[in-house]
Amino acid sequence: MNLNEEQIERYSRHILLKDVGVEGQMKLLNAKVLIIGAGGLGAPAAMYLAAAGVGTIGIADKDKVDITNLQRQIIHFTKDIDVEKVSSAKEKMNQINPDVEVKTYNEFLMANNIREIIRGYDFVIDGTDSFASKFLINDACVLEGIPFSHGGILRFDGQTMTVKPNDTACYRCVFIKPPPANVVPTCSQAGVLGAIAGMLGTIQAAEALKFITGVGEPLYNKLLSFDAKSMRFREIKFKKNDKCGVCSENAHITELKDEEQAACDLTT
Amino acid sequence: MKSYDLPKNLIDEVKEFEYKIKEFQAGAINPVQFKGIRVPHGIYEQREPMTHMMRIRCAGGIALPRQLKKTAELAEKYGSGIVHITTRQEMQIHNVKIQDIVTIYRELISVGLSSRGGGGNTIRNIVASHDSGVNPKEAFDIGPHTVALTSKMIAKENSFNLPRKFKISFSNGGEIDSRAMITDLGFLAKIKDGQKGFKVFCAGGMGASSALGVVLFDFIEEDKVYCVTEALKLMFNAYGNRRQKHKSRIRFLYKSLGEEKFKQYFNEEYQKLLQNGYPVLELEEIENKDNKNNSLKEEDISAPEFELWKNRYVKEQKQEGLFSVELPLFLGDITAKDAVKLAEFLENFGENSLRFSIDQNMHLRNIPEAYLGNVFRLLPEIKTISDKPSLTGKMIACTGADTCKLGLCLPRGVTPEIQRALFESGLDLDKLDVRIHVSGCANSCGCHHSADLGFKGKIMRKDKELLPAYVVLAGAVISENESRFAEELTEVASKDMPSFVVDVLKIYSEKKARFNSFYEYAQNEGREDIIEAAKKYSNIPSYEEDASYYTDWTAKEKFTVLKGQKAECSASLYDMIDFDKEIIDNSLEKLESVEGQEERNNLLKKILFSASRMLLVTKGLEASDELSVYGLFLKNFIGPNLVSGEFADMIKKAQNAEIGDYKAFEDKIIKLADSVKKLYESMDDSLQFKTEESPEEPSSDENSAEKFKDLRGVKCPMNFVKAKIELTPMKSGDKLALLLDDGEPIENVPGSIESEGHAILKKEKQAEHWFLLVKKG
Repeated sequence: MNLNEEQIERYSRHILLKDVGVEGQMKLLNAKVLIIGAGGLGAPAAMYLAAAGVGTIGIADKDKVDITNLQRQIIHFTKDIDVEKVSSAKEKMNQINPDVEVKTYNEFLMANNIREIIRGYDFVIDGTDSFASKFLINDACVLEGIPFSHGGILRFDGQTMTVKPNDTACYRCVFIKPPPANVVPTCSQAGVLGAIAGMLGTIQAAEALKFITGVGEPLYNKLLSFDAKSMRFREIKFKKNDKCGVCSENAHITELKDEEQAACDLTT
Repeated sequence: MKSYDLPKNLIDEVKEFEYKIKEFQAGAINPVQFKGIRVPHGIYEQREPMTHMMRIRCAGGIALPRQLKKTAELAEKYGSGIVHITTRQEMQIHNVKIQDIVTIYRELISVGLSSRGGGGNTIRNIVASHDSGVNPKEAFDIGPHTVALTSKMIAKENSFNLPRKFKISFSNGGEIDSRAMITDLGFLAKIKDGQKGFKVFCAGGMGASSALGVVLFDFIEEDKVYCVTEALKLMFNAYGNRRQKHKSRIRFLYKSLGEEKFKQYFNEEYQKLLQNGYPVLELEEIENKDNKNNSLKEEDISAPEFELWKNRYVKEQKQEGLFSVELPLFLGDITAKDAVKLAEFLENFGENSLRFSIDQNMHLRNIPEAYLGNVFRLLPEIKTISDKPSLTGKMIACTGADTCKLGLCLPRGVTPEIQRALFESGLDLDKLDVRIHVSGCANSCGCHHSADLGFKGKIMRKDKELLPAYVVLAGAVISENESRFAEELTEVASKDMPSFVVDVLKIYSEKKARFNSFYEYAQNEGREDIIEAAKKYSNIPSYEEDASYYTDWTAKEKFTVLKGQKAECSASLYDMIDFDKEIIDNSLEKLESVEGQEERNNLLKKILFSASRMLLVTKGLEASDELSVYGLFLKNFIGPNLVSGEFADMIKKAQNAEIGDYKAFEDKIIKLADSVKKLYESMDDSLQFKTEESPEEPSSDENSAEKFKDLRGVKCPMNFVKAKIELTPMKSGDKLALLLDDGEPIENVPGSIESEGHAILKKEKQAEHWFLLVKKG
């Protein structure tokens, strides 16, 4: 496969980059990325990955667009209210870039289906809103050996890390297990500044593009967190946890199970 | 009603263009670079330096009355006071000063018009049957498709940097030719199982090498028009020949790839677009109806002139009670003042009341019967040729050598003479439906290929003099199932054209009853009749006998071709070369049988002379006298080693008139003739000889490269992007040769290439551009 004239123009700003070039763009066109959650994080990630020409993009979400989503989930428009989020997202992604094949999964990812769905993807973006899902995605990606980007936002804060299973620390290495149900405030009461979703989802998209093209250093073994009020970013370094329940030698998680925690009312 | 949507970035582009004009005026960019910028904006320089023509897009020949009015006002204020209608249904303003271009451009934009894509390697104005929407016999109205496709294509940046121009035509399936079958991409309206759609033709076109279109699809649904166009464009972009301007239209691509590969490559792009769910054409109906806000008072006329005019120029529309009216123009010209008057009059009939046709006339539409009198009353106030038979209005003539830099002859000079001769001939012209088209050179701007009786300008030689002349063609038919171009039959001096046309039409009018059309006549005995008729004019008087043959109609000076500049018109050049080549060949043949000493001497002298002169024209040289031919040959062919130095002594002797006995050089002369003919065979379309170091084809060892890419005309940063595309698959150490424009490109690209770890082996100015040799790192 060669780039045609239109693609050369469309991706010219990538091709111009010394580190990306034609080879990098070809890698993107041949890459497969799954975005779990078509919400606050998934929206900007999906749009940037589509624009970048990532050849196959999967997007999974069971929800329909709600008017309360529109404050931050910029891939959905007012006209999309009550439309399945994955359909709404696919429509926009194809409008941005018809080169991209968008696969939609209009379902909850659970212990019984997640491994099958993520299998075959080169990279996964976690754009979900609950600790249960985040641990599920972490464990599934580790078991399947698929690199992924973790992301989370609340109020004015965001955090993200990138995991290459077995080589770098995973989410469970750091956070061990989901917090008890009554400790974390419900998101609908806490709220979130819309642009924070854009900041974090965009960082996740950039991590995916870096990983695919092999450019630079992904956020391995470190958690990037920021507070938008002061607009300070900091990195917290850590190592693989040799007692990690899923990726250490002594791992006891060899099969997935659904954690019991109510999903957050507010989709990130 | 809207005509087409202007591209969103047009305002910015005009701003950038304004800046470039200033740079050009300040001398910061040279004329060749500036040409590359202005031509895609539809702005051509006329023969008089710094004077320009602006060509304004009118999709499908649609213009709103207020658009005509604005254009006319601009032509009056800044141009020649004439609005010219082209054979591609556009409007042109002539004699525009460079400093006024941007002002005009912005004014045009204010009424929804643009000249972007009027020239250059772009999607040109899309033409359509002018009677679409009103013709009772049409399949359906294709106006909406023409407008929607135009809007979509001109919104895309890559429509303006194609390998060569890209012409699209729509036909409504009525009886009038809109050239769908003889253009780069043509759509013929069809209804299949109740569904609107098109039969699609492509790879046709008229020019120095004409081709009939081939069928790409028997039927596509109407909403696929965009996908088909875009796919062909992408494929053309990917595979088109950018190096040889004369062989780069889609018809040449078709020829070089062959049908199977061409269709395969097309289909790859097409399927990809379809699968990606590319947008369909959004069609907006164009209403043809009576405008109720008419402020005119109905004029009731009963006069025989009125009836005659109605018979000639008024047609019933498919909308009951409405009529279309043809306003025939003299070669597409209307004065700006008249155009304003007409536009104001038309405002009474609504926005959808005007079309331009490919025979350069205006067509009013949606005129209620009661107001035909008003149109008739308007006629004496505006200068048209509505009082003449319609054959006159159907005559097409390209602009010719007075404004076109390519033109040889002056079609606009000879055409009125033909008309005058016809009016004086006593022929009943209303009974003769013959389309007469005249082109000033082999490029088919005057559409001689599609004519009943067509003429293309050529150079004739009589003794040592050149004179303007035309090749006569006849018998074109362009229809869905049978298309053929007019056939070249004979030739006639420009001077004799008027009486020749009268002669031919006289013969035809006598035989007409037996044929359904001129085309049918021309296919049968007309062919011989025309050839025979030209014989009467075959004996051209010498310059001393009648000098008028050597000055074209309306020309102020004696006919000349090159005017010291490099020949731009390749066709005329071949005429001149072939003239000498024939002399050489004939003389060589005679030499085999002739024994008389003096005769042999003369033949050898002729060969030596013609061999020396034959290729001078490729260098833009015209010898003033016989002896200087040798001097020019020596300097331009033997000097640069295009022809072997072994002939130098002989040519020097000839130059000094020192050869008395040519027989003594017999072997050498024959060898020279052979070398010159071989050199000619090696010549490519850009007039470069194989043995020459061509700027487009680095051939010497130090310039040799594994790959070559011509990036002239490609702006920053796309030129660097494309260079990277070439470099990527290459092996380390392989070389890439590039051609780059002067200015920004040469200032930026080499540095960018080096910063990626490649080496620049050579950077060299060639004429107006740069040659760059890159070694992959």
